[in-house]
Amino acid sequence: MTSLRSTGASLVRARGLTIAALLVGSAASARAQSNLSIQGFGFPTGQFSARTQGTGGALAESDPLTPINPAAIGAFQNRVLFFQLEPEFRSVKTPAGSEHTSTARYPVILGALPLGSHFVVGLSSSTFLDRTSTTSFLTRQILTGTDTVPMTTTYQIAGAMNDNRLALAWAPYQWLRVGAGAHAITGHNLIDITQTFADTIVFSSFNQKTIIGFSGGAASLGLQLVSKYASVAASARWGGSLRASVGDTVLGRANVPDEFGASFSILAIPNSSISVRTAHENWSVIRGLGTPGLVGVDGWDSSVGADIAGPRITNRTIFLRAGARKRTLPFQAAGATVRERSFSGGLGTTFANGRVMADVAAIRALRDADIAASERAWTLSFGVSVRP
Amino acid sequence: MLHKKLLGLATLAVATVAIAACSEQLEGGAACPLLCTNQPITLLDTTIDAVVVDTTVLGLPPIGSEAFMMLASHGDTLDARAIIRFDTLPGSYTKSGVDSTIVNIDTAQLVAPIVKPDSAHRPKAPITIEAYNVDTTGADTIAAVLGSLFRPGRLIGSKTFAPESLTDTLRIPISTDTVLDRVKSGARLRVGLRLVSSVGYNMQLGTVQSGSNAQLRIVASKDTAARPVLVSPLSTTPTDASFLADQLSDYSIVVRGATSTPAGLLGVGGVPSRRVYFRLSIPSHIVDSTSIVRASLLLTQMPNRRLNPKDSIFVFPSPIVAAPLVTDIKTALQFLGGAAEVGLDSLKLAPADSGVRSFEIVGLVRRWRLMDTTLSPRTLALRAGTEGQAPQEINFFSSRAGNAVRPRLRLTYAPQTSTGLP
Repeated sequence: MTSLRSTGASLVRARGLTIAALLVGSAASARAQSNLSIQGFGFPTGQFSARTQGTGGALAESDPLTPINPAAIGAFQNRVLFFQLEPEFRSVKTPAGSEHTSTARYPVILGALPLGSHFVVGLSSSTFLDRTSTTSFLTRQILTGTDTVPMTTTYQIAGAMNDNRLALAWAPYQWLRVGAGAHAITGHNLIDITQTFADTIVFSSFNQKTIIGFSGGAASLGLQLVSKYASVAASARWGGSLRASVGDTVLGRANVPDEFGASFSILAIPNSSISVRTAHENWSVIRGLGTPGLVGVDGWDSSVGADIAGPRITNRTIFLRAGARKRTLPFQAAGATVRERSFSGGLGTTFANGRVMADVAAIRALRDADIAASERAWTLSFGVSVRP
Repeated sequence: MLHKKLLGLATLAVATVAIAACSEQLEGGAACPLLCTNQPITLLDTTIDAVVVDTTVLGLPPIGSEAFMMLASHGDTLDARAIIRFDTLPGSYTKSGVDSTIVNIDTAQLVAPIVKPDSAHRPKAPITIEAYNVDTTGADTIAAVLGSLFRPGRLIGSKTFAPESLTDTLRIPISTDTVLDRVKSGARLRVGLRLVSSVGYNMQLGTVQSGSNAQLRIVASKDTAARPVLVSPLSTTPTDASFLADQLSDYSIVVRGATSTPAGLLGVGGVPSRRVYFRLSIPSHIVDSTSIVRASLLLTQMPNRRLNPKDSIFVFPSPIVAAPLVTDIKTALQFLGGAAEVGLDSLKLAPADSGVRSFEIVGLVRRWRLMDTTLSPRTLALRAGTEGQAPQEINFFSSRAGNAVRPRLRLTYAPQTSTGLP
């Protein structure tokens, strides 16, 4: 938290109070629970805006509200603030039964400011890995030969790694945008372990709190080529060092995963796009950050989707979105790689003479691994962008 | 128009869902252990010879500070009596709202609340309570001196109670002549109570300390308009220590049957009442660097069949709150904290029982964490719940006893090894 605050403070000095306040606020990630998707250092939300979520992620390289490709913000012609809410409702099924849980996330906050007619600067904070979870389980420990004690262990983990990006885009021509980004990976995990006992006279419960702080850096470059009928976009992120520490003690060192992605969009239909995207992220480099048993899995994230200008209602264009996505989650569960398939749909429109844009998406995710457990989730994504 | 309404409804629905989505259902765990990367923290268990000092101190609580006075008669084994001081007697009474000087006494009665005996604690035969005038110019707290005053010439009242007639109050008639003489002369009245019974019995009388003290009830006139005068215990001696005088308003003495605890044993309760003092030595790497979840002081009970061997009493472990500069053990044992304040629980033990008893003191041991022993000595006391009120004594083997039965401390703790990393 300390490192996050210091980052936030520097942003205040650089870009103004409003955006900095939003950035600090985004760091307070919501909560989730232990399941297939939250293994290792947590669940990668994808850093997608609600608009991109509606297309299954296919717009990630070209959507300026999605802090993936720094060139994308070159599309902004006005100042913009964007905020997103993303609750998820999950069901985990194992031979022990089913469990339904829900969590709320605030995965993306973004602000952008055009500088002249060719440059746009953007500041964003997005959830990189959300580890928030609460898990309770009952065990019986043998103390001596005949002396055993039943106890309930509760792990309450709150927090996330966040990707704070300062991006600059240059759009020298209408058909070309390039951009660069500097990333600060910050955040914390508050680990709250409580062990309680049924026999409260003989045994006294105990609680242990640890705050793990994360600090790291990365750099990214992006490109967009746009024509009347099609566009191509690509981005790459190079991970710098990443470390986990408690106070002054460094617990682990690793690298921020590298990522590259590319997309192709057909723009033949006015105000619409049909896109396909693929990206690769080498999560295996993060293993040094955790215990020796931590296994990060390199994986592809591919999607196809459409953002179509639909009917007009009260002079507003309603955008209809749909998409499908397939990806590998970054951390193994019980030694097995976790795969996710998802299908999504969404809507978007503008209000207040185009000053406010609202997007809604619903995502159905199917998560499986080669173990006797599966997870199904509904995620709702609400995004609001405001042009002050 | 219809489209506008539909858009409004859709916006409202989205807003409602968005707000509702902020609530969370967090608790998970059904998928454990398959999906739980987090494991329970392993507990370690060790039993150590932690007792470096243990001793029994007699005469605690101090005379007069017991909540109830013990009145006991067990033949040659035990004879305990009660002393109640009325050092100031009123010289007037009220009749029809007018104060009048006492010139005559119709009745004088000692009204003494007692702990009402349940069916298991009723006497097996009638008991007699005798009241004596024990006023003396001699040493007025010495049992031998006071005991000699319980002689026929000083008898000022008595009453015999059938077992089933014992409720929560004794009413013992006191000689009106004696009381009138004291009232007129302005002298003090000090009453000694003695229990007489053909079978052993002991009872508990209320005291000023517990707020349920005895009272002297004087009726100065046969006139029904005359209000009885109620006199509460009051001691005017010693004159140089009012604190002690308050305690000596009522107290009990042991005329016969005082014992000491044998060497090699520790004693709690008994006659005179006693407490046990422990000083422990616990490795700092356990106290300071781990989370202790159980601390059991293991004491091996030695049977004591002297008095009421099967009549259980509660034994409490108590924190000692005296400052470290109090080095006298008897003084330190007079400053005990509440057991409940640190989560200490009592054990109900019968004197004749035997075996290992486990006093759970984890709440106390946890308070010693990161506290230097010079600031927070690792000490505690054992006391009986009826100390000074009942004759039962619970004995334990001390640290000077054999290896198998000496006191030990069992610790169960969680080493702080979890960094929280996945």
